[in-house]
This record gives sequence, C-alpha cells and structure tokens, in this order.
Amino acid sequence: MSDLLLNWLINIPGFAAPFAIAALGLIITERAGVLNLAAEGFMLAGALAGVGLMIHGAPPLVALGGSVLAGMAMGLIFAIMAASFRINHVIAGLALVFFAEALTSYIASAERWTNKAISGLEPVFLGQDVIVYATPVLCALTVWMLNRTRFGLTIRAVGENPGAADAAGIDVTAIRFAAILIGAALIGLAGGYLTVAVSRIWVDSVVGGRGWIAIALVIFARWHPWRALLGAILFGCIEALIPRIAAAGFDVPRYFLQMTPYLATLAVMIWAAARGRDRWSQPAALGQHHIREERG
Amino acid sequence: MTIFRSVLKLAAVGTFATMQLAGMAQAEFAAVGNPKPAVILFGPSNDGGWSQAIDEARQKLEDELDMRIPQAEEIPESATAIRPAAELFIERGSNIIIGSAFGYSDTFKELAEQYPETVFINPAGTTNGPNLKSVYGRTYETQYLCGMVAGGLTKSNKIGFVAANPFGLVNWTVNAYLMGARQVNPDAELSVVFTGAWGDPVKERAATEALIEQGVDVVGQHVDTPTPQIVAAEHGIYGTGHHRDLSEFSAATQCSSVWTWDRFLKPEIEKIAAGAFEPAPYGAFLSIAEGGGDIACCGDAVSEELKAKVMAERDAIIAGKQIFAGPLSDRDGTLRVAEGEVLSDGDLWGMDWFVDGVTGQ
Repeated sequence: MSDLLLNWLINIPGFAAPFAIAALGLIITERAGVLNLAAEGFMLAGALAGVGLMIHGAPPLVALGGSVLAGMAMGLIFAIMAASFRINHVIAGLALVFFAEALTSYIASAERWTNKAISGLEPVFLGQDVIVYATPVLCALTVWMLNRTRFGLTIRAVGENPGAADAAGIDVTAIRFAAILIGAALIGLAGGYLTVAVSRIWVDSVVGGRGWIAIALVIFARWHPWRALLGAILFGCIEALIPRIAAAGFDVPRYFLQMTPYLATLAVMIWAAARGRDRWSQPAALGQHHIREERG
Repeated sequence: MTIFRSVLKLAAVGTFATMQLAGMAQAEFAAVGNPKPAVILFGPSNDGGWSQAIDEARQKLEDELDMRIPQAEEIPESATAIRPAAELFIERGSNIIIGSAFGYSDTFKELAEQYPETVFINPAGTTNGPNLKSVYGRTYETQYLCGMVAGGLTKSNKIGFVAANPFGLVNWTVNAYLMGARQVNPDAELSVVFTGAWGDPVKERAATEALIEQGVDVVGQHVDTPTPQIVAAEHGIYGTGHHRDLSEFSAATQCSSVWTWDRFLKPEIEKIAAGAFEPAPYGAFLSIAEGGGDIACCGDAVSEELKAKVMAERDAIIAGKQIFAGPLSDRDGTLRVAEGEVLSDGDLWGMDWFVDGVTGQ
C-alpha cells in the first residue's frame, strides 16, 4: 500500500507538468484577449519536433528547444491569422488544430518516425526531471511578468480593453502577436515534454486531447497561473492514479475518477458565473478583435 | 420519388422483405471476372500495427496474384473521406474494395448498395450485405498461444495486460491470454489495465509501469502502439505483442499475435473472380486456419520445450480445438459455458465477464 502511494506520488509531477506548462502558455495568450483553441495543434508540433530531433541524435534538452521553436512556428501562423488579419479566433484555432494533425501525421509518416522508441529525458533529483522543477519557476515568472512588468500590464490592458490601450498609444496587434508567440513557445514545450519525457514515442495524435484539457484547465483556473498549476496537479493526480488502482486490482469506478477534473471545471465555471465579475475572471475582450476605425 | 423511397425503406424493415431483397440481390450477383482489388487504409501504412499489417498483406497479394493493388492511406472514419476514395477506385476500374476500419461500416453499406457490381470487404467492420462482407479474426486463438508463452516465462506468476477498452473482442483476448498462461502455469494471475484509448502511448506507458510496480514480469497487450513492449524492455522484463511481430520494436517481445490478411484475401479474391462470393449475414469470423491470424513465435527467452508446447497447441487449434469450451465459469462463479458446449459467436462478441484469476475492472 505504501509502495502504491509512493509510486503514485512520484508519477504525479510528470503528468502534471505538460498540463501546467500548456496552461501557462494559454493564459499569457488569452490575457491579451486572444482566444486560443489551437493548443492541441501547437502541442502536436512540439511533440513531433521533439521526437524527430531525438531520433536524429539530439540531446533531450536540445530536442525540447526544437519543440519550443515548432510551437512558435505554429503560433506564427495563428498570430498572422488572429492578430494581423483578425480572422475569427475560434475558426482560426480550430482550423490550425486540424492542420497540425494532418501535417504532423504527414511528416512522421514520410520520415518514418512513428513507433520508434527514443531514450528520453532522465530524472535528475527525486525521480523528477529538470522540466518538472522548471514548471513552478515558469509559473512564478508568468505571475511576475503579468503583474509586475510593463509588458505584462500592457498584455492585460489589451486583453481587458483594447480600445483604451490603443488610445494610450499601445500597438494592440503587436502585443497580441507577441503574446501568441510566447504562449505558443510554452505550449510547444508542453507537447515536446509529452513525447520526449513521458511517452518516448511518436504515434499520430499522440497528444490525445491533452491540449483541450489545458484549455479546460485555464477556465478552471480563471486565467490565474498559480491556480492553473494547482489544477494541473489535480489532473496529474488522476492520470497517475487510474492505471495504478487498476493494476493493484482495487475495485474503484474508473469512469467516475476520469470525470473528476471535468466535474471540478464545470463546478468552477458555474461558481464563477454565479459570482459575477471579479479580479480573476475572464479577460473582458477575450476573442474580440480590435479595429481602431470601429471603436465604439 | 422520396415517398416511394421511404415506403421501400419501411418495407425493408420487415424481416421477410429484407430476406427477399437480400435473396434477390444475391442471386443477381455475378462474377467480377478479372479481379481488381483496391485497399482503403484507415491509418498510415507504416503505423507499425493494424494498418501496416493490411498493407503487408496487400504487398504479398500483389506478388502472389501478380497484379498491382492500389491503396489510399490515412482515410479517416467519415463518409466524406471514405466515399471519394472508394468512388475514385471504382471509376478507375476496381471491383473489389478492401477497407480497414470499424468506422467504415456504415459508408461501406451505402456504397455496397449503390455499387452492386463491386464487392466490399471490411476488416473490423460490422455491416454485411450481398456484396459486402465484414471480417475479423478469432484473436482469442492467437492470444491464447501468446498467453502460453507468458505463462511459461513468468517467474513471479504475475502477468500484466494492457488493453484498450473493455468490450467483447478485447475481453476475449484478456480471458484467452490467462487461460493460455494457466495451461502451462496453473498459478499464473493476470492484472489487466484498460487505457480507454487505442493509441495513447502516454497512458500505455503509465499502465505498463503501474503493472511492473505490482510485480508483473511479462506484459501482454491489445492496444495499437508497441509502447508496452518498449517499456517492458526498459525494465528488463518480457512481453507479447499484437497486430504484428513487435520484436521489430522491442527486444522484450517473445511472441506476437499477428494478422495474416493475405491468407484470407487470396482465396477470397479468387472466389469472387470465379463468381463464388459467399455473403455472410453476420460477417466472416476467421480462425487461424481461415487466415484470421497467427503467432510470430518465439523469442530467445522461450525454451525449446515451451516452444514445442505452443506449436503443438497451435496445431490442435487449427485441427479444431475450441478455447472457450465448457465447463467454464467467470471469476464470480457464474457458469458461462456448460459442459460439452462451446461459447457461441454471439456470446463472444458480447463477452462482458472475466475468468477466475483476472484482476482489474
């Protein structure tokens, strides 16, 4: 029993880290008022780049660097669509997910990267790897940036009231562009972590909906980084627990466990709706374009 | 016209009418003469598993039948993707369309009605008709043999199994696997973890590691990626694969339950060419002898003695030995197959129970 607990605890951070990092990326993007539904696609790009570089002999951290760049490359497309050309954020995001699924399948198939085992990121301390230790640091940096730096405050201003930000001389498009790219870098890293450290193999659609979970997590966290980390740990607890109770032969209703994080998300959304607006609610201009000539 | 169609549809609901229609169409179905098969693959042809097994059968058929068999890969399970692929092949002269997915079932049914001169064969499908046949292998036979290998290899008597979703065709492999293991090792126990997904290597790795933490030293699988085998190799234990010979991906793999679609499709294509296509109202459910699968056995860790036992059992199954023969009870003690009887195909597809010794939900 104590073994089971220990094994469970050891495995939680590895499951929580990709959710947390992806959620941080989404928070930065969405605080600038850009609704990002493309997380699954950014993660796929990062996941594939990580595996590809590992297969070509790159060390794990270099491969993860490639994941960051791959995420940013997808982010660039999204930024051009959503920030520059002001295409509907929902449509641009969904289209990118499908595009990324097809593109990554195509590249993996053409390069024959599917099902090849890679060595993976090794633990450094207490059974955890560097990315796990970097996750709370990234979270702290995000909080600091959003609350304590001019750039972060500018992002928030653009996300809350782009018209006012524009009147104050802020280039709304440029700020949104930057927020998308920074977010995409983190989401790409999360995807890379999933393959380089966790699955250590590429198969098509390896991300398996975890990008969508990250989106749910951001809503759960009400766009707040520390709460997102907490939520990621909750999701990680469940993901690490389910196979262990099954392997140990405990008769626990698995489907109810799988529901728990989503039930919590629903509960938080209902709670937030009932409570009304507060400091930690959805960015007011989320998903809205800012066109100076149409300012009301 | 629409009303006329609706009336026809209504009439078709009646069993009698359906039988009449099927009978008529069956009688009208003529030989295709010069067979021109084409394959529509659900996954990429190098997925290492299910899709690649069909692709390898296609390549063998090209050699054996001395013809070119075109193929479309990565066609998702939606009518808007399947239909254009199938119709393009038909326009180019293909008269036998071979599918590869459960999710093709409905579209293949529609296509088969629309193109009565074309024969449709769909591995893993569920729909059938006068010119449409769904086929699947009796995978419990091959998984039983792999289970024997697992039973012979385990030192801890704890065997693990990573499976996708708990329903009939997965549950029968789980049961058969332990029954095979117990034939050579009566003390063997099987822990099964269902990942809830066919190809999620993150969950498969977690499941395999959780099983290894519980002390299993052989891992079997019924999921689509070789992840459980790779994790087994990382931990220095053994494993058995499914779909294809997974020793290609992992040194841990000692036996694999593999598809042998060419062994079924070659005689089937020849029959269709000769005008002897036999429609099957419930599809074709193929044993090892009929080309439904086989084992790739055995790895270096398997002793000659164990290998001989497995091969002898394989011969017995080909000769007609039944795996789910009575008396057979589930783990709660309910009698599922009476003495002297064999589990029916219907009960196999609906299997929702596990034999004694299986733990997990």
